[in-house]
Amino acid sequence: MAGTRLVLEGLSKSFAGGPPVVAALSLVVEPGEMLGFLGPSGCGKTTTLRMIGGLTPASAGRVLVDGRDVTALPPHRRDMGIVFQNYALFPHMDVAGNVAFGLEMRGMKRPEIGERVARALDLVQLGHLAKRRPKELSGGQQQRVALARALVIEPSILLLDEPLSNLDAKLREDMRSEIRDIQQRLGITTVFVTHDQAEALALCDRIAVMHGGKIAQLGTPHTIYEHPATEFVADFVGRSNRFSAMAAGGMVTMGALSVRAPGDVRGAATVMIRPHRIALGAAPGGGEWNEATGAIARVTYVGDMLACEVAAGGVTFLVERPTQPGLADPRPGEAATLHWRVSDTLVFPAGGG
Amino acid sequence: MRPAVLAGLLLGPALLVNLGTFLVPIINLALLSFNEVRPSGGVGPGPTLSTWAILFDDPYYMEIVGNSIGVSVMVTGFTVLAGYPVALFIHRAAARWRNLLVVACISPLLVSAVVRTYGWMVILGDNGIVAAALRGLGMAKAPRMVFNLTGVAIALVEILMPTMILCLLAGFGRLNASVEEAAASLGAPPWRVFLRVVLPLSLPGILLGCLLAFVLTVSSFITPKLLGGGRVILLATEIYDQAIVTLNWPLAAVLSVLSLGVFGLALLLYGRVLRLVEA
Repeated sequence: MAGTRLVLEGLSKSFAGGPPVVAALSLVVEPGEMLGFLGPSGCGKTTTLRMIGGLTPASAGRVLVDGRDVTALPPHRRDMGIVFQNYALFPHMDVAGNVAFGLEMRGMKRPEIGERVARALDLVQLGHLAKRRPKELSGGQQQRVALARALVIEPSILLLDEPLSNLDAKLREDMRSEIRDIQQRLGITTVFVTHDQAEALALCDRIAVMHGGKIAQLGTPHTIYEHPATEFVADFVGRSNRFSAMAAGGMVTMGALSVRAPGDVRGAATVMIRPHRIALGAAPGGGEWNEATGAIARVTYVGDMLACEVAAGGVTFLVERPTQPGLADPRPGEAATLHWRVSDTLVFPAGGG
Repeated sequence: MRPAVLAGLLLGPALLVNLGTFLVPIINLALLSFNEVRPSGGVGPGPTLSTWAILFDDPYYMEIVGNSIGVSVMVTGFTVLAGYPVALFIHRAAARWRNLLVVACISPLLVSAVVRTYGWMVILGDNGIVAAALRGLGMAKAPRMVFNLTGVAIALVEILMPTMILCLLAGFGRLNASVEEAAASLGAPPWRVFLRVVLPLSLPGILLGCLLAFVLTVSSFITPKLLGGGRVILLATEIYDQAIVTLNWPLAAVLSVLSLGVFGLALLLYGRVLRLVEA
C-alpha cells in the first residue's frame, strides 16, 4: 500500500457564537507517517480529527489527500478508516459481519470479501472469533475488531480517536505496540488523537501538541520532550519542576538561588526542570552543570523510583532517582547537594501559553 | 423476615386484586361463552357449544375477526410510518430539547380518546377544515372522511402515535451517533446507513410499538363506534352491540374470548420475531 500525503490548510471550526474550537490549523502528514494530536480535553484535537474524516464540517480551510481537495466530500466518499473511542461496532452483526461491512459497501464479490475479512482478522489475531457478537468480546478484542474493520477497506488514511483510552493499563501497552506494528507494516498514513502523552511519545513519528485550538508545537517525540517550545508543552508532556523566576541573560534567579540557563529570556520567567534530570550529589565538574545545596524535605518510595523533595534556596525541587539495591536512601533532614545540566534548565517568558 | 416472605407480602395485595378483578371475570367470561341466550335476553343453562357453533354457521363473525385484524394491521402500519421519523428526530435532538419534545409528543394523552374522536369528526366532517381546504384547492367533491374506514384509520393513527413514539424511543437504546458515523466512514451513503444500521438497531422498538398499537386497535371501540358511523364493524364494536343492544351475552363472551385469542397470537408472534431480531 503506497502511503498517502495528508495536508491540512488553515483548517478552522467554530460553533455558533462560540470562540473557535480549532483555529487556522495547517500541517502536513507525510506518506506512511503516524502523526499524533496530543492535548488536554477541549483543545480541539478530536474536532480536528472529525474534520479530516468529514464527520464535522469545517468552518474554513481545506483538507487535501494526495493533493485532492476532499473538504466538501461526505464521510462515505473520503476513503478513510476511523477507529472510534468507544469502537462503535455494529451490535447486530457478528465480528466477520462488522469487518465485511466496508467491503460490501464497495460492492465487492462475496468470495473475495470472505478472503479479505479472514486476512484482516488474522492481522489482529481474531480469526477464531469471527462468529462472535461484539457484546461477547472483551474491550481489547472489540478494539481489534474496530481496527480490522477500519483497515480491511485499505483506506488512504487511518484515523484513530483515543483508541486506547477505554482499555486497562496493561492491555493499553500491548495494544500500543500492536497498533504501531500494524501501521508500520502497512505503511499507512495515520492520524492519532490522544490526551495521554506517554502514548503519543511511544507511538507517533511526530506529535502536534494542541492548546486552545492551535498547535503549540509540532515535532518529533524527542524534540517535544527535550526542547519544548512553550511552557504549556513542557508542562503537558512529562513531569516538571516549575519555578517562577527572573531571567537576565544566561542567568535565572528563583528564590535565593541563581543558576545558569541557556537562551536569552529576560525579565519575569518560568523555569522548568525534569525531576529525573536532577541528580543528588555534587556536580562532576566542568562548566555545563548547575548546582544547589539544601536539605531533604521528604522521600517517597514508588517501587522503581525514589521521589525526593529537596528544599534549596527557598524553593523545593522534586528529584527522581531510580531505585537500586545497595544504594543508601536519603533520609528527610539530611543535607543534600543537587546538580543538573545547564541545558536541562528550560526557561520560558512568564505568562506564555 | 426472609426476603421471599417479604416479597410475598408486598406482592400479595396486588396479586389478590388482580385475581379478583381480572382473572375471575375472565374465567366467568369464558364460562359464559358456553351458555346460550334465551329469546327473552336471559342466559340459558349450560354448558353448551351452541353459541360457539354460531361462529361456524354464520360467516359474518369470522369476517369481523378477519376485518378487525386487517384494519388493525393497517392502522399499526400507518402509525409506525408516521411515528418513526418523529421518534428518530427526538432521539437525535440535543439533550436539553429531548424531554420537551417527548412531553409535547405525549401531551395528546391528556385528552381522552372520546374528545379526540369528536375533534376528528369536526375536522374531517363534510364542512370541516380538511374538506374545505381540498375544495379550496380546486377539488370538485372532497372525499368522505367521516363515518367510514378512512376517518377511523386517521383518528386511530393520531390517537396511537404518542404510544408508538414512546415505544420507539424506548427501543432506540442501541442506536447511537458514532455507530452511524462508523458506517458512513466505511463507505455507506446515508440511505444504506439507514437500511443496514439504523433500521435493524431500532427493530426492537418498532416491534414493541407495533404490538401495542395492534392490541390497542383491536380493542379500540369508541373511535370506530363514533367515527365509523356503524359502517366499520370490528370485534370490539360487535362485542358492545351484542352485549348492550342485542343482549346476547353468551355471544359477546364468545367474541371476547376470540379477541383474547387474537391478542395471544400477537404476543406469541412478537416474542418469536423479537428473538429473531435480537439473536
